[in-house]
Amino acid sequence: MNASSGIWPVRLPRSITSALLLCLGWLAMPLPAAEEIPTLSTTLTAVDPVEAPDFTLSDMDETTHTLSDLRGNYVLVNFWATWCPPCRKEMPSLESLYQQYRERSFRVLAVNQWENPDHVFSYMGELDVFPSFPILFDPKSEVSERYGVRGLPTSFIIDPQGRIIYRAIGGREFNHPDVTTLIESLLGKGS
Amino acid sequence: MDLHDNLSMRRLLTILIMVTLLPACGRNNVEVTVNPESGLQSWKTRDQDFSLELVPLLPDFVRAVFGAKGLPAEVVEAVSAYCVFGTIIRNQADEPLSYDMRTWRYVTADGVEHPARPKSAWVEEWREQGIAFRWTLLYEAQTYAVGDWGQGFTTVKLPPGTQFDLHYSWQQGDRTHERIIRDMACAPATLDN
Repeated sequence: MNASSGIWPVRLPRSITSALLLCLGWLAMPLPAAEEIPTLSTTLTAVDPVEAPDFTLSDMDETTHTLSDLRGNYVLVNFWATWCPPCRKEMPSLESLYQQYRERSFRVLAVNQWENPDHVFSYMGELDVFPSFPILFDPKSEVSERYGVRGLPTSFIIDPQGRIIYRAIGGREFNHPDVTTLIESLLGKGS
Repeated sequence: MDLHDNLSMRRLLTILIMVTLLPACGRNNVEVTVNPESGLQSWKTRDQDFSLELVPLLPDFVRAVFGAKGLPAEVVEAVSAYCVFGTIIRNQADEPLSYDMRTWRYVTADGVEHPARPKSAWVEEWREQGIAFRWTLLYEAQTYAVGDWGQGFTTVKLPPGTQFDLHYSWQQGDRTHERIIRDMACAPATLDN
């Protein structure tokens, strides 16, 4: 069973999906209300470089994206889902980071888990800023499994040679100076 | 102000007093707070390095969350039959640390130690049913680098409302730290109880 075959067997109108999402938002409140979500961290952990598993996934427009096509860039791969509160909280800062460095060989791929494009599109409509980086779909969580992701969100930075060099488990404030300083330093090395 | 307003005001004052006093009454390193809407207590440790927060979840809430993922009814019912906590673990140290919930124990008043049901056991059970879902639950054992953290559901096979002491631990370097959170409780079956 997976998201494409069993979870959302019927394509609902986006307005209905949005209403359902709002209801789910209310349901989510008793666990960690938005203001109770722990503060996002600002550090990423350097790891021994290891080749990043390659993948090809579709975005919301069914355009395919292949990680290895981005060789020569630094790529931040973010595994996330709309039901995950810290994923939602960090998303605007991820867009901010992408906007800041997209002209400098820096890319972002947000790999959604266990959801379908209609559902995610409705969620995106609720954000103040619509993410401009590709939102990819990993409905059976096969890619996240190959990356050893055990919880959401988890992010990786992949270097221009296609190696994982940094990792972050849990939500991050990606536009924090701790992160931007790191990205500046990486991009400085590459130039 | 009518009788209903008076009762509401009294209830509100009671909740405010509880919210104010309970943290001060918390044992040692534990902060106890009360959800003003549900009246349910939650627990958060004050340890400098290993931060643990546990929020009891009503069975209906667990049903709603897992049901929204499109999982089969029997899967939803199986999870909601457990005592479930929304759990947040954070590494606040300046070095890596690790935890393994398989060594944690929920000790009830009769002295019996109950182990948590690990995420891997749920995932394996679902996999055998052809279900690839492996999210929402917090992984039972992880190593967190500086700044890493995670949140998710944790489960233990105890009836609603059961009281217990949680014996938990974590590792930093070659040191194992052990702590107890006393007088915890699973969420009741419903808020009407």
